[in-house]
Amino acid sequence: MRSVKAIFIKQLLDIIKNRMVLIQFVIFPVVALVFTELVAKPSEEMADSMFVTMFACIYAGMTVLATTAGIIAEDRERRSLRFLIMAGVKPYQYLLGIGGVMLTASLIVTVVFGLMGGFGGADLLKFVAALMLGAVASVLLGATIGILSKNQQAAGAMAMPLGMILGFTPMLAMFNDTVKKVFGIFYTMQVDMLVNDFAAGFLKPALVILANVTVLLVMFVAVYTKKGLRS
Amino acid sequence: MIQMNNIVKRFGSQTVLTDVTFAVKEKEVFGLLGPSGAGKTTIINILTNQLDADSGSSSIGVTPMEMGLMLDEDGLFPRLSCLENLNVFAGVYGIPRRRPMEALASVGLEKTSKKAVSALSKGMRQRLALARAILHQPKVLFLDEPTSGLDPGTARGIHKLIQNLSDKGATIFLTTHNMEEAVRLCDHVALLHNGSIVEEGDPVEICERHNAVKMTPDLEAVFIKLTGVDLA
Repeated sequence: MRSVKAIFIKQLLDIIKNRMVLIQFVIFPVVALVFTELVAKPSEEMADSMFVTMFACIYAGMTVLATTAGIIAEDRERRSLRFLIMAGVKPYQYLLGIGGVMLTASLIVTVVFGLMGGFGGADLLKFVAALMLGAVASVLLGATIGILSKNQQAAGAMAMPLGMILGFTPMLAMFNDTVKKVFGIFYTMQVDMLVNDFAAGFLKPALVILANVTVLLVMFVAVYTKKGLRS
Repeated sequence: MIQMNNIVKRFGSQTVLTDVTFAVKEKEVFGLLGPSGAGKTTIINILTNQLDADSGSSSIGVTPMEMGLMLDEDGLFPRLSCLENLNVFAGVYGIPRRRPMEALASVGLEKTSKKAVSALSKGMRQRLALARAILHQPKVLFLDEPTSGLDPGTARGIHKLIQNLSDKGATIFLTTHNMEEAVRLCDHVALLHNGSIVEEGDPVEICERHNAVKMTPDLEAVFIKLTGVDLA
């Protein structure tokens, strides 16, 4: 537990001091606020919170994934991870520490998004829960990419296109039914469905997201078992 | 305490270590000497379980928690301060909170404790890496070229610290291509050339054996005589 705590504190300090990463946590709430205040909705049928939910999904799909992959790849590239492991940190403890910071930061950002979107009470809880499920999936995918990547450049080359596909498909699906059908199995699409229509039911999309989390967990364990964090 | 028996290591078709055997006694300062590419870092990587040998056996006689490491790459967290870097490892080791500051003081970095690692000079980073290696007062300390690329003043400071640690009973395994450093610090040395140990023993005795004692024992002359290769 003390190793997880040490990694958690290290990563928290590092994110606070790393403007390039910190800005990624701030940029989407700010953009959502600007769009909500300044840009007219494409259609009157759309909810007032449409820009908030749209950018919250992009955040959960892209920022969390790319940042997690980048952090792990940087620690590998700089050999910091090697020293942590030589000091007795188990790879799972390292990943729990990093994942813990990512999810804590995501919780704060998600609550900010929720409040910006005017959600309250049970709706706010559902909004936060849906996005946090998406963030868990993104952390797992990001960690897998981080393990597979030898350096930050390689991690970015993998994480950014994937993050863009996952993050932007819910937005594209608003204008294209084929995209909606084809990418419906992705967790970001289900997160988007959840946060846009609480009345439609929580269970089915939540189950699809959990199925995504399960698949990503299996994939992560397989990659971790095969490649590990030693090298 | 530290032992390597008949170690062979290959990278692809290239054999980098051939039948390497040596032993390091407890509380000894052991120097592994050789030019760049001789296989010194590979030996440290095998001893510290970062690399598997193709054949042979090795042991270091302590747990990973009782081992300190200063390797070719410092692995420091660049955006964190010196103290924060050590605090991370103090948290991992579960040692008292005063130890990071004590370790910084022992390498003369107490005044730069709040400075970010990215703003440190190479010498300061080396000293910080050494502070991290001794933070938990390890029984065995691995130092891979600890003074490589440092100015003479900083190198002397590190030599002094290594001697202090040895006086306190730590077993020290260091690699270097600086023969003067080896004579000054080591109780026992092994000369490594092209992945094989070509000579081993007390540095002064080795020099005497090869008629290489001038005003001071000259290990470099022994190395050149044995291998025909200059260390520069």
